[in-house]
This record gives sequence, C-alpha cells and structure tokens, in this order.
Amino acid sequence: MTAAVPARAPGWIRRNRDLVATPVIVVVGLAGVLVYTATRQLDSVEQRALDPSYLWPRFLEQIWLTVASTVVVIVLALPLGIALSRPAAARIRTGTLAFGGFMQALPAYGVIILLAFLLGFGTTTAIIALVLASFLPVLTNTVVGLLQVDPALIEAARGMGMSARQTLLRVEIPLAVPVMVAGIRVALVLNVGTATLATFIGAGGLGEPISSMLYLGRAQAVLATSAIVAALALIIDWLGGVAERLVGGRIG
Amino acid sequence: MSETVQSPIDSTHRSGQRPMIALEGVSKTYPKQSKPAVAELNLQVPEGAIVTLIGPSGCGKTTILKMMNRLIEPTTGRILLAGEDVTDVNADQLRRRIGYVIQQVGLFPHLTIGDNIAVVPKMLGWDKRRVTSRVDELLHLVGMEPDDFRDRYPRQLSGGQQQRVGVARGLAADPPVMLMDEPFGAIDPITRERLQDEFLEVQRQVAKTICFVTHDLSEAVKLGDRIAVFAARGRLAQYDTPSEVLAHPADDFVTEFVGSGAAVRRLSLLEISRLELEEIVISGARAAGQDHPVLSVDGAGHPSTWQHVPGSDQPPALVTVPLSGTVYDAVDVMLDRRAPVVVVVDDDGLPRGALRWETLVADLRTKGQPR
Repeated sequence: MTAAVPARAPGWIRRNRDLVATPVIVVVGLAGVLVYTATRQLDSVEQRALDPSYLWPRFLEQIWLTVASTVVVIVLALPLGIALSRPAAARIRTGTLAFGGFMQALPAYGVIILLAFLLGFGTTTAIIALVLASFLPVLTNTVVGLLQVDPALIEAARGMGMSARQTLLRVEIPLAVPVMVAGIRVALVLNVGTATLATFIGAGGLGEPISSMLYLGRAQAVLATSAIVAALALIIDWLGGVAERLVGGRIG
Repeated sequence: MSETVQSPIDSTHRSGQRPMIALEGVSKTYPKQSKPAVAELNLQVPEGAIVTLIGPSGCGKTTILKMMNRLIEPTTGRILLAGEDVTDVNADQLRRRIGYVIQQVGLFPHLTIGDNIAVVPKMLGWDKRRVTSRVDELLHLVGMEPDDFRDRYPRQLSGGQQQRVGVARGLAADPPVMLMDEPFGAIDPITRERLQDEFLEVQRQVAKTICFVTHDLSEAVKLGDRIAVFAARGRLAQYDTPSEVLAHPADDFVTEFVGSGAAVRRLSLLEISRLELEEIVISGARAAGQDHPVLSVDGAGHPSTWQHVPGSDQPPALVTVPLSGTVYDAVDVMLDRRAPVVVVVDDDGLPRGALRWETLVADLRTKGQPR
C-alpha cells in the first residue's frame, strides 16, 4: 500500500490523526474534574461515595452490564439479521424491522422498571432491559449491511460455484462487517449510558452514586461520578470507532 | 456461402464435431408469468468455438446463458455439457467446471487480485503451490505482471484491468467452457477494442468453448465463430457464421437487426491475406514497368517510398497494413491517411503486394452478395 516516507509520518498515522482527539479530550477533561474535586472540601458522605474502594466495584458493574448486554445483543441480533437478509425472508423483513423500531421507541427507564416487576429485581433483569433497548441498531445494521452488498458480487460468487452458505460467509458477511460493527458501536454506547438506570432495580453500576448523591444534594460528587460515566461512554464510542476504522480500512 | 468470406468456424469443425454445450428443448417460464421467457430452445455450441449470443434487450439471451450454468434453472428441457446431462447434477459443483465472467466484473473488493483469481482453484482443493503458480500464469496470460498486481486490491485497478482479472478468474480452474455476459459492455470503446483483441489472443492459446452474450453487433461479428441471433422469447432466429448472418439474414427480423451497416461490418471479416494482391515492382530490382506500382525499399527490404503509382502523377504517401489485418483495417488507414493505395507487409515488414482503393471497391462489388 502507501509506502512510508521516512522523513514524514507513516501513512497510517496521517490517515488516522483524527482518532487522537477523543482520548486526549477525555483524559484532560476527566483529570480536570477529578483534580478539581480533590481540591474541594468534601464531607464524609461525599468522601465515602468517591472512595475508590466503593467506586471501583460500581465501575466494574457498569462495564459488566454494558458488555454482557451487548454480547447478548450480538448473539441474538446478528443471526436474526442474517436470516432476515435472506431472500426467503423478504416478506417478513419490513414487519420485523418495524417491530424492532417499536421496541426501540419505548423509553428505557420505563422498560427497566416494568421488567423488574415482571422478572424480579437484579442484574439479569437489567441486562434483559438493556438488550431490548439496544437490539434494533445491531439488527438493522446487520440487515442493511448484508442487503447493500453489490448483487453483482453475489452473482459472481454463485456463478463461480460458491454455495449460498459459502457466498454468505466469504463474500456477504466480510463486506457487511463495517456496517455491522457500526451497529454494535451504537449498541455499546446506548448500553453504557442506559446501564446507569440499572441502579433503580438494584443492579448497581455508576448510576448508584449518581442517584444517591443527587438525592442527598451533593453536587460535587454527582459531577465527579457523572464525569466518569461520560468519559467511559466516550472511550467506548472511541474504541468502537477504532474498530470500525480497522475493519473498514481493508475494504474502503 | 461466399467463397471470399470464409469463417474461422471451419477450424472448430476440424477440432471436433461433438457439441460441448447442448440445450435440448429448454424453456423458462418465470413464476407468475403466463408466457415463457424462453420457449423450446435447441442450441448446440461446438467445442472450441466462440458463440456470441445477440438480440434486442429482453430477448432472453442472458437467461439462456444463465441456464447453461443453471444460475437460472430451466423449467423444462435438458442441458448437456460435453455429452453429460447436467440438468439435475449439483449446481454449485457444475459451476466450478464452467468459467463465468460478468459485465460488472464482480471482483471481491476485500480480496487481493491473486486471491480473487484463486477462489475456484481453492474450492476445488488445489494445493497452495499449484494455486500460486496458476495465478501467476493467468496474470501473465492476460498481460498483467504478477509481481505488480498479485497483491493489489480491485479498487486500485482501472476498469479494463479489472475485467482482465475477471477473465483470468473465469479461466482459473481451466474449465472447458466459459460463459461471458457482456464482459466488455461497461468499458470505454478504445479499451474495449483492445480487450477484444487480447481476448481473441488468449482464446487462441486456451481454445475454450465460449458463449458470449453481447448487444453490440460489431463485437458479436468480431469475436464470434458463430452468431446466435435471438428474437423475443428466446426464439433462435438465426445461428450461423458472422459472414452468413450478415450476408444472408434468415428472416426480416434478422435483416432489421443486422441493419444497414452489414456491408461495412463484413469488411472486418475479410482478411487481407485472402485477397489477390496487386504485384509491386521494387525499384532497381528490374526496369520499372508502367502498369505496376513501383516501390523503393531500404537496406532491410522495408518499404520506404513510392516511386510510381499507375494512374497518379504524384506518388501518394506510403501507407502500410499488415497481411494479417482485415480489409476493414485497410479501408480505415486509406480513409485516415487519404491514401488511394496501401502496401501490404508481412510479419517481417517486407512488402507482399499492394491494395488499391479502386480494385478494393470493384472487388467487393463483384464478390459481395446481392442485398
């Protein structure tokens, strides 16, 4: 590909320079908020809420909720999306995607609370609610990604003697991956934000210090924990962007 | 058949009588359509021949091509490949034995050129070394340096280069049969011309049985050993050598389809080597006569200038055409260079005779077919 000219930055650095912005902003912003917080006079309630021995487990819960729900979405929505993209499913495709849109439109807050009454409180219910909330982007992008593969490529593949399955695995999916990854990125970002609501059904996460400090009127602690959630969401979005760039770069 | 216009189909007759592809009573009726797209078609493609399928759009020529490798399953009838009934064999495995090249090329954008060509050989389980050497061999065959192109991606190639790779990919597993669906249709005219010439050159080396769909009559005439002219519903209106189709259209439909340019198109089928050339006198070799053109040559025997051309006071500019060219080429340079006479040279550049505008016109008028 592009040969690296020794005197200048290699091509891949020049092409991806824009990716540096997000982590720099996140690190500087988060450090600023945390340093500012550390200089403030904090009362014992705030100190307890911001103590790493308390925050770290909440942080891990937040990550767990996000990752677990996204993995479940991938496991369910990718195969369903692939099935819906097959010509045989053309008739039910629109209906299914419309139903997905309906589910998407439900407010996550209401879904979480309702599900808790149906399925009980706890992490499992929170994950199910997150799955419902982020199912559609992955499903839609899988279907769209597969349908936008140039029909000439599928004809070429079949004409060369690839079976329908080989065509799917070797041509359609590799070419749809960038769009599918974009859908997964959206799901991740949705989930990391929505996971802050899990605290209302006892599933922990960073929503817990935020809501309790909010309730107790400790603005400084709310600011600090909110900053952590925001930073986490931005970094996850950034990682998704990097992944898109990696899988997209080969096809372009 | 005219004795001056002989077709390359003769060579295929020599190579074997058995049809490589045979369609027997093949029909295709699409679901929810009352009338068939193709009805009761019988067609035999002789081994080693290029058959061009041509007809107005919607005549079913692409459907017919796709029934040959069963991308479209015929509703009724039989398909025979080298005598074997393949109507009901596994379609995927059948297609691996048949090269397939389409207008949109369809190179896989996520695979390198080498990997694109290697798809079918790999599916057939060839070992790595055999695949690699085959890829290089094919890139050479289509005039692309393997070291330059093997690891590139399709998007880095021009349209013409992509279709060269498309042809190479179709040939990858050395199938006896190639199906080509308007492969040069989306390529600019100049590149298309060159690709056609290269394609004929490749075919001289590989001698495949080729079915070639086109909507361009010039292309059908240039490439086809035989032309199959289709009317609506896949009716085979005429199936014959290009010169016969042009000279003796079978019915009004073919007459209209072939159109008024038929006489000019026929020129491209007439090879100069088949003509009686006018004798040339080399100046200095012997006394210049008044009734033959006189040519001076350089040390290597190559023509340099006209000394004298009967019937013209000023000797015209020297223009040469190769003996391997067609009358179309000769007429083309005559018009282009405003030369009433051209020197026909052989592969070594030595003069073999002269061709004059007046004799050319007279000759064609006497030997051509009444229209």
